[in-house]
Amino acid sequence: MKFNEKVLKAATEIAEGCQGHESAYCSSECPMHTDVIGYVDLIKEGKVSEALLKIREKLFLPGTLGRICAHPCEKVCRRNTEYGQPISIAALKRYAADKADKEEFWDISKDPATGKKVAVIGAGPAGAQAALDLAKKGHEITIFEKLEVVGGMMRVGIPEYRLPRTLIDFEYSYLNKLGVVFKLGVEIGKDIQFDDLIKQYDAIIVAHGAHKGSIPSVKGKETEGVTNAVDFLKEVSLTKKSHLAGKKVVVIGGGDVAMDCARSSFRVGVQDVHLVSLENQAELPASIHEQKCALEEGVVFNCGWGTEEILSKEGRVSGIRIKECLSVFDAEGRFSPTFGNEEIVIPCDTVIFATGQIVEDITAGSVEQTRGGRYVVDKDTLATKAPNVFVAGDAVGGTIVVEAMALGRKASISVDRYLKGMDLIQDRDLIEEYSFKTELNLPLPEGVIDIKRYHTRMLPANERKTSFAECDLGFDDSIALEESSRCLKCECKGCMKECIMLNDFTHYPGELFNKFLKDGNMEPLIAYSCNMCNQCTIVCPEEYKLAEVFGGIRKDLVKANNGKSPLKGHGAIDIHQLLGFSKLFTVKQKGGKK
Amino acid sequence: MGNRRGFMPGCSLPSYSPKNVELTVQYLKKHYPELSGIQKCCGKPTKALGQVELFEERFGSLVQDIKDCEIDEMIVACQSCMNTLRESKEFKTTSLWELLPQIGLPQELIGKAKDSDVVFSVHDSCSIRDLNGIHEGIRWILKELGYKVAEPEHTKDKTRCCGFGGMIVPVNPDVAKKVMDRRVKDFPTENIVVYCAACRQSMILGGGQAWHILDLIWGDVVYKNSKPPEDVLSNPVKAWINRFKSKGAIKRAIKK
Repeated sequence: MKFNEKVLKAATEIAEGCQGHESAYCSSECPMHTDVIGYVDLIKEGKVSEALLKIREKLFLPGTLGRICAHPCEKVCRRNTEYGQPISIAALKRYAADKADKEEFWDISKDPATGKKVAVIGAGPAGAQAALDLAKKGHEITIFEKLEVVGGMMRVGIPEYRLPRTLIDFEYSYLNKLGVVFKLGVEIGKDIQFDDLIKQYDAIIVAHGAHKGSIPSVKGKETEGVTNAVDFLKEVSLTKKSHLAGKKVVVIGGGDVAMDCARSSFRVGVQDVHLVSLENQAELPASIHEQKCALEEGVVFNCGWGTEEILSKEGRVSGIRIKECLSVFDAEGRFSPTFGNEEIVIPCDTVIFATGQIVEDITAGSVEQTRGGRYVVDKDTLATKAPNVFVAGDAVGGTIVVEAMALGRKASISVDRYLKGMDLIQDRDLIEEYSFKTELNLPLPEGVIDIKRYHTRMLPANERKTSFAECDLGFDDSIALEESSRCLKCECKGCMKECIMLNDFTHYPGELFNKFLKDGNMEPLIAYSCNMCNQCTIVCPEEYKLAEVFGGIRKDLVKANNGKSPLKGHGAIDIHQLLGFSKLFTVKQKGGKK
Repeated sequence: MGNRRGFMPGCSLPSYSPKNVELTVQYLKKHYPELSGIQKCCGKPTKALGQVELFEERFGSLVQDIKDCEIDEMIVACQSCMNTLRESKEFKTTSLWELLPQIGLPQELIGKAKDSDVVFSVHDSCSIRDLNGIHEGIRWILKELGYKVAEPEHTKDKTRCCGFGGMIVPVNPDVAKKVMDRRVKDFPTENIVVYCAACRQSMILGGGQAWHILDLIWGDVVYKNSKPPEDVLSNPVKAWINRFKSKGAIKRAIKK
């Protein structure tokens, strides 16, 4: 059908400019694109089970991520960028998981069996995500894990006082329900050769993480009493002990792993814990929350110092000499620390380097590696040069759990395509497969004020510092309700909230008018269901006049229908109008003198 | 430009209440002895359906009536008439609700409801959300009569549709009903006052208790437990009989 220029122009403007499809800052930043607004709003409405299900649409580890996710979503939260008070998104997720998660909620439906077999190496978040996605696609999955436990770095990196182990096992049991087979305590490269695995399986996902602690070349690093974060935390995680730690520990590093080492030290009987970081305190990469916890527990921070030498006495560490650090990065932002002249010595018997970890090669050279041991892959598909080998997680560069999961999912999409003989890249929405920046550009809603963020309750520092019991107690009902109420729901759906009829026909006006332009037509009932009240226009940041466009479309529909509305129901109005203009019901009575 | 005025009640008001029409015309005539009266549709429904040519023809017949009566300024009681006439720019058009604060209410009605226990929520017509003078005029009238007023969240320029707009009722009654129900829930009090008879019908269909502002001016004092007038507009026979009666009332009042 033909529509007039004015209508087409206005429809094009809306189709192109409507922000209705732009996702919120939080969910676009989340590599797994959890529907944050959705579940936070459900918590606000007291529908905690529904909130949990909403989270589970994207995340199989709601309780785990609610505790230990580095929550990049909170950094971009509008309440953070405006007021420095982001919504406690992770803590709300934990609240929903703790309160409502039940095995009977878990979706264990699967596509019909394909007969294809996939081996996943590593039972960390990347491997587990890939495994469950592929299992749901009907493939037969076996996970090979070197450790005797599942969870990867969540299990042997992140300390128990932050993440109870029973929770990991509970949430991982979902994979068992999906029929994923775990082969624990099996090391690829030792118990089974990588090349043999390739022959036995249709596809391989390499997701064994970065489990080798790296220690920079510091004088005295070979001394008894020096270790790395990976080995230290693994031993503490598995045994609640450290064979190496003495009474006084110095942790080198400024990230969350360094905080984990420092706080874990107290829990294995260390009396004094010092932290030494190149960065000054304001620039520490560790999360503010972890820093705060460490300080409360009595870790002494020495920020702005570089390790010069590890001192020893009778073959054992006796101290560490550190040198004033003036800057960490050069003008181009590259790591290139500069030092002043001031030096001090911290006496200690143990030094833990939390200065990064690298990926070990388990493929016997079959897959090429690059810096930090990370495997060389096509970054869009995570494919390697071997056609049936893909890599995910820390082994390829995701550094936080939720990133590892997203890479696991990405690898699973590639593997599924590979197994089905499809092109790896064609018609694939790569942007959706990882964090992206939303184009959302909204004014702050009217009347919004700064409301302080609620923090979770914590065990008192002196009580928790010698215990592996979980120290964060989460939110109670009333605080969860308050905190979820602070969400600004950053999405451009004002018109959809205001207009009842639009919801019957579309998700947002941009979609409706795109379809209109593409089809060259519109269902008459749509145009004739507009109340013409302009409520959409007054809440639209672009002030699009939908009523005018619908009005214009009505005119063209009438024109194409011999001057009459195409809808039968309007016959009543035709009669009403005939009568309203008929002599029987009208009068003109001129006033004044006759 | 001369100063001959004309009054038109629109469609829904004369279908709802010939008495309100007659008393209004009588009162206006006291102020404007040369007042003319016109009862005819402005053609808004035809226009809303998109029937451009038919609308022009119909509106043209109204324009002719106005010209025949040598009217310089139209006083309108219907918000759709207000829009149709002001968009045409043919005549100076004034809303009755803006005019009453200027000419005042009959002395004997001022403060008549000062002892009433009712609190009215005002429902503004969405078609004139941009005409603040009308919003204020309605509140002035209520205050002058002695009624207490409460404002919903969506009010004045942010008012919500009553559900009747856009001629959707005959083709999408489900949506219309949902809009009506939602609007009624918006109000902080049980009793609602409107200044459009179609809005009043919507409020009642949505489960509310609504009075037309002219009911409050010309009728008995309303109390919290008073029942609103019956929903005449939902009964086409009664409504058209009323429309016919209003025609006679206008004739009578103007001729007097």
